[in-house]
Amino acid sequence: MLTRRTLLLLSGAALAMASLPDCLAFAQTANSAAPAFVQRTGDELIRAMDQAHTPQTKRQALLQIVERTVDVNGIARFCLGRYWRMATPQQQQDYTAVFHQTLINSITARIGDYQGVHFTIGRSAPMGDGTAVQTTVFRPNNPPVDVQWLVSEDGGSPKIIDVQAEGTSMRLTERSDYTSFLQQHGGNVQALIEALRRQAAQQQAG
Amino acid sequence: MHAPSRPWLLLAALLSVGPLLGCATRPPASDPEALAEYNQTNDPLEPTNRFFYRVNDALDVVVLKPVAEAYRYAVPRPVRTGIHNALANLSTPVLLANDVLQAKPRRAGDTLVRFVVNSTVGVVGIFDVASGWGYRAHDNDFGITLALWGVSDGPFLFLPVLGPSNPRDATGFGVDIALDPLTYIGQGAIVTDLKWARYGVSATDERERVLDPVDQIKKGALDPYATFRSLYRQHRDSEIAAARTDEPRTVPAWYLPGANP
Repeated sequence: MLTRRTLLLLSGAALAMASLPDCLAFAQTANSAAPAFVQRTGDELIRAMDQAHTPQTKRQALLQIVERTVDVNGIARFCLGRYWRMATPQQQQDYTAVFHQTLINSITARIGDYQGVHFTIGRSAPMGDGTAVQTTVFRPNNPPVDVQWLVSEDGGSPKIIDVQAEGTSMRLTERSDYTSFLQQHGGNVQALIEALRRQAAQQQAG
Repeated sequence: MHAPSRPWLLLAALLSVGPLLGCATRPPASDPEALAEYNQTNDPLEPTNRFFYRVNDALDVVVLKPVAEAYRYAVPRPVRTGIHNALANLSTPVLLANDVLQAKPRRAGDTLVRFVVNSTVGVVGIFDVASGWGYRAHDNDFGITLALWGVSDGPFLFLPVLGPSNPRDATGFGVDIALDPLTYIGQGAIVTDLKWARYGVSATDERERVLDPVDQIKKGALDPYATFRSLYRQHRDSEIAAARTDEPRTVPAWYLPGANP
């Protein structure tokens, strides 16, 4: 039964809804897509690892998922820091290409670690240039690990821009590695590209 | 292992590299970006630190790493876990002292319950029964205590034998040894031997647990020193943040609105 009181209450609620600040609505959308995206990507990864049988098919499956869900170009740019602007367009292109290779190698090098993994999704909150999604990853014979995924939705579809395991950020660590290398080599980006190429070749051979 | 038979040789070797040691050159004010980077890196003793990194790395390759690998090969995983748990249980006094000094009653309570449960039901700490009961382990040391008291970390240091540190954490390391009652108990050769054995087994245990990550970092990094420096800082910051945000609960978890334990 619709009494006068409920009507009043309803209209009051409608008014309150209308006057809700936009930022709240924004926070809602920022929070909603990222955890689902992480869940989906994680499930996909686990399924791919279970279904693929040979190391080659596993690597292939992993590669596809990474290319689709990780903002490799953005991470590459971040890791070069202030030297990105000092590099020539050709160097930027070469560096991004070899960075792709390096990232893929470092992910597929630990392919054995992804066997029998499962995870739970925790809280998520806006952080820096994206949304941080907390997960706990369980690996057989290993203590659970807290892994945080930084997801950016700037490019339309959500993309992973950083992974933090136990509080250490992958892209920050990588950036300090490259920056330090560049400092030791007089800021020569070409030297970095060559070093990364040598490393990638070694990893593929090994 | 015994002390070097010719200590003067070691001294001469150290003195000969003396001129190599020194400070990192500060970029000129005309290059503000480089200067900002220098300040952020906060490693004014970088050449000296790099020297000790190389010394430690060489020591690791010939001594600690082979020992840790042999330990992994010879001792099955459940036994290693038991040894690790027992060692962690022995460090309870230091952990508890720091929990209390940080005014974290909930963490202190966890530490106390863990000690009581694991020392009894867990057979002198070999089995971590308390974790299964919901009293999970946490890290703590006097470096973290100093951080919570507002002391900043200071410039990066790479210490001989001890590895990555900074003035705050190095001070904390010393205070932790002073806080440990096991530092003071007992006399006689057997007790002294046992104490050293504990340090030795601890070092082996800790090295064994990071065998794979350290290998991966060394293989994957262009500049392993800078990578370890960054990882050390990030790891410490996250430990400090964990200690800081672990607030004592004075009311049951279910009572807090929106509680999500």
